[in-house]
Amino acid sequence: MESAIQQNCLECALRPDRIFCDLPTTVLAALDQVKSKIACPRNTVLFREGQPARGVFVLCEGRAKLTVCSESGQRLTLHVAVPGEVLGLSAALSGTNHEVTAELLDDAHVAMVKRKELLNFLREHREACLHVVDLLSQDLHIAYDKVRSVGLGRTRRPRAVSA
Amino acid sequence: MLSPYGLDIIESCLTCKMRSDRIFCDLPTASLQSFEAIKYATAYPKGAVLFVEGQAPRGIFVLCKGRVKLSVCATDGKTLILKIAEPGEVLGLSATVSGKPYELTAETIDPCQVNFVKREDFLRFLKDNSDACFKVAEQLSEKYNNACHEVRSLGLSHSASEKLAKLLLEWSSKNGEAAKQEPRLKLALTHEEIAQMIGTSRETVTRLFADLKKRQIVQAKGSTLIIRNKVALKTMATNN
Repeated sequence: MESAIQQNCLECALRPDRIFCDLPTTVLAALDQVKSKIACPRNTVLFREGQPARGVFVLCEGRAKLTVCSESGQRLTLHVAVPGEVLGLSAALSGTNHEVTAELLDDAHVAMVKRKELLNFLREHREACLHVVDLLSQDLHIAYDKVRSVGLGRTRRPRAVSA
Repeated sequence: MLSPYGLDIIESCLTCKMRSDRIFCDLPTASLQSFEAIKYATAYPKGAVLFVEGQAPRGIFVLCKGRVKLSVCATDGKTLILKIAEPGEVLGLSATVSGKPYELTAETIDPCQVNFVKREDFLRFLKDNSDACFKVAEQLSEKYNNACHEVRSLGLSHSASEKLAKLLLEWSSKNGEAAKQEPRLKLALTHEEIAQMIGTSRETVTRLFADLKKRQIVQAKGSTLIIRNKVALKTMATNN
């Protein structure tokens, strides 16, 4: 698989376009120390709903489907994550079980950061923490849109008041 | 200081006795002092709208006292209540951080004390205070987990009775009632509002409550609801 993704985040040509990865060099060097780069085949389940959060997965290449499941096994797709997104953030930060299941839709490259190391990394690097806050805000907008569409059968209405 | 709405206003976050129990507020003194300089403590009566879905974000609202109803609304007027926010929660957070319009409408259901912080002040505060930034990430994570829970409940529950049973079990698990044989819960919402929480009609909620009472699964004593048969309610919640 030919790819612009590098083992080392500092050499990755795609990072300026990605919210989490676009970090200052010193912070990226620290991220490189705590992450493990993994190549995963299509259909790999990165984590399952209900499982304790072991860490986060930065999606470098490939897409992942995020689903929720009922007790009867029925599934609902919440979102299809694209490269640059960080999966498992909310559970890793809150220390709870995963609320969703993440399954790869393509052959993918992911960078895994263990929970404890992520928390230390974010405490030490304010820039990274700000990026995580941005990402979580975006995740939340997506989740609210889904709540709206399943609960009211529509997506978001246009702005009521312009800025 | 007593406000017109009978609230005992907490003027300073530094002297607030509740802050150690609240995710966002439990900040180091230096960060709290910076927060003090940018916040506006305000009292609102019941029924006040803090922000409206679709409105450009003005800032965040830290709920100090009282409760706030968070809802989304369809153009035909149908409303869905996502959550009743409790003291300690920060409202309007994701919109303020991302600069996108507010996703929800926030309306007080009690007299409330709210600390408002303007968007530009809040963003600067986050950049300068890494502890606060971390707390915000934690709050957003919790909100995301709640939203996923809501999607699951609305999108994958088969019937209104299943959704109502799940809601009652969730409410009964708070305030140390979870382990009790017959947990009690305070019904602070009307049937109309409960209907808006589970995406059904007021009539259906009234009919379901009548049925639960008839089958002696729940018993009402004023605004207190006693769950007499937790097993039966759990069975309803799992659609068995």
